Amino acid sequence: MTPSLELTDVRKSYGDFQAVAGVSMAVPPGSIFGLLGPNGAGKTTTIRMIMDIIAPDAGEVRVFGHPRTTADLRKIGYLPEERGLYRKMTVQDQLMFLAEIRGLSRRDAQAAIARWLARVELSDWAKNKVEELSKGMQQKIQIVGTLLHEPELLILDEPFSGLDPLNQEIFKDLLTEYRQQGRSILFSTHGMELAEKLCDHICLISHGRAILTGELKAIKRQLSGNSYRLVADGDLAALSGVTGIDHVIPDAGGAKLFLRADADGAQVLRDLVGRVAVREFRSEEPELEEIFMKAVRDAA
Amino acid sequence: MRLDSIRVVAKREYMQRIKGRAFWIGTLVLPLFLSAVTILPSLFLSRSEARQKVVVVDSTGGAVAAELAAEKQTKPADEPAAANPAPAEARPGGKLAEARARNVRFDFLFEPPQPDAAAQRRELDRRVSSEQIGAWVWIDGQALASNKVEYHARSVSNFLTQEVLKEDLSSAIRRVRLRQAGLDPEKIGALTRGVDLSTLRVAKGGSRAEGGLAGAAFGYIVFMMLYLAISIWGQQMMTGVLDEKSSRIIEVVVSSIRPTDLMMGKLVGICLLGLTQMAIWCATLVILSTPGFLAALVALPEGVTLPAVTIPMILNFGILFALGFFVFASFYAAVGAAFNNLQEAQQVAGFILFFLIVPLIIMFRIINDPDSTLAVVTSLIPPFTPLLMTLRIALQMPPLWQILLAYALTVGFIVLMVWIAARIYRVGILMYGKKPTLQEIWKWVRYA
Repeated sequence: MTPSLELTDVRKSYGDFQAVAGVSMAVPPGSIFGLLGPNGAGKTTTIRMIMDIIAPDAGEVRVFGHPRTTADLRKIGYLPEERGLYRKMTVQDQLMFLAEIRGLSRRDAQAAIARWLARVELSDWAKNKVEELSKGMQQKIQIVGTLLHEPELLILDEPFSGLDPLNQEIFKDLLTEYRQQGRSILFSTHGMELAEKLCDHICLISHGRAILTGELKAIKRQLSGNSYRLVADGDLAALSGVTGIDHVIPDAGGAKLFLRADADGAQVLRDLVGRVAVREFRSEEPELEEIFMKAVRDAA
Repeated sequence: MRLDSIRVVAKREYMQRIKGRAFWIGTLVLPLFLSAVTILPSLFLSRSEARQKVVVVDSTGGAVAAELAAEKQTKPADEPAAANPAPAEARPGGKLAEARARNVRFDFLFEPPQPDAAAQRRELDRRVSSEQIGAWVWIDGQALASNKVEYHARSVSNFLTQEVLKEDLSSAIRRVRLRQAGLDPEKIGALTRGVDLSTLRVAKGGSRAEGGLAGAAFGYIVFMMLYLAISIWGQQMMTGVLDEKSSRIIEVVVSSIRPTDLMMGKLVGICLLGLTQMAIWCATLVILSTPGFLAALVALPEGVTLPAVTIPMILNFGILFALGFFVFASFYAAVGAAFNNLQEAQQVAGFILFFLIVPLIIMFRIINDPDSTLAVVTSLIPPFTPLLMTLRIALQMPPLWQILLAYALTVGFIVLMVWIAARIYRVGILMYGKKPTLQEIWKWVRYA
């Protein structure tokens, strides 16, 4: 299947600073793709290069199977991290403008606006100025503005940051619905919990590099043989010195242990018993956050 | 560049602003102000001081009173004192003519001096207080020699009335003196009368009478109109860009259309708005300068009309506004994009005022001589062209080649300005936080 979006070794530097140092990834059609990484990792720069807001120094951006053109941008729904609305415009005029710059005819735009406003329960506010709306309502208008032209591909930069819980739920439902229709969504976040719930594919970015990319399930499966839950009494943090243990993440119930690829779980358990009072030791699928931290450590 | 994108953006700019209150306030203030300063004072003046009853007590033996009475009979009070040896202030266009034209008239009541001068004066004061008369004039026996006459009235600040009265009295006393010296005042008046300079503007299709002052005033008004329009709408461009930045809408917009198209759309939209405003202003000027319209309200000196606002003039003003707007607004767009808020932006935006102020400084020299080398050369320098060419066209239509050359040079300059502005704009609109240095902005221009 042709990826909806494909990046090949995309790079961008500002002077000596490498903001994006070679990112390659592919967003399959009908997927929710998470672009993950800490603040400053290069997520926004990558997204801006996808949207042709910043020109990459090198690399290629392909959408819907061909090199991206300006016309393609109109088929994408983009919600930037820095987002806002014209405060003095009415909701209706605002959405009409956003639809028109995406090439919708006035008639189509009118129908879409009515449909979407009804869906987010803001039909009564169409004639109000944006500045008269609450922040939560404005967020809904921003989301509607992104979806009005029924884009084939959604690019969302930190879409959930600042959203109130109610709008988060609405948005999550919308994204799932979109995926069911066979369309693709790429969104960036530094919140791993949310990504874990929503994404089926991920790309981890750290210091401008893609350090892990692929299907989330596959990545987890691949790592699950090496990750264990330990419940025990004693100094768990000191266990990282044990042969075969890659690293330890202590938590409330005990600790998560990541073993080296060549380590044997049974052997590690025998070593552990000598050091702490082990009450529980079992294989457990890693959480995205743990995968992320391990990947960052491995890359360093 | 995509024309449909530019059109959508231009439409938004135009429609949003024309719906706003600020546009209409800004647009209507100038015509109201112009109408107010031209029409209202004359309406007000011509209604006031219509006739004043003035008691004249002549102690010189009645000679002065006789001259005053005679003068009133020989000519209607509302005609300029043309037959008199004209004093400096009596020239057409002077305060006096203006006052006469505005119907300052007197009904003189001549009363003989009483033996008890003090009692007579008290009685006259009483009549003024009780509003039986407007004022009284006391010409004492030495007036012919001392040149002094007393004027008593409730208000002594009615400047124009006093001027007219002073002239009437001077004229009367002057005639008495001439007669006493054995000369004929009428003959002397006829021999020493001043010259009327009738100003005629040479234009294609013949000369037409026009007030010299009115021509300069017209040039000044048109110049100021354009000056205001360019600086106001240029700054609107800057605040518009800053607003898009601070409201964070900009990135949504530039993900669908090119930043350059967004900038061009804004320039076109606001330019059309400015042209709408200019059209309203020009309509006001056309109405005010229609022969007969103003004359019906204001007394203009005979034979003088305001300059006619012609279609070629209006077209040129429109083109010049658009050119001026693009020169200045593209600069303002770049400044708005580069900085984060109005305070930061205005520190730099001040630089461009230089190009608006220089024309203001040399304006009066050009009004004085619209064909001078200074006028021709400065009006061909692109940033100055919009204002100075406007002024020249208002004063005296320059040769066509000069107008076309000026337009060509300015269009070339605009292409350069827009190119530079677009590069700054593209980078600047996504920059938040730190205030960029001028070196950094220059880097954007070179590498964008």
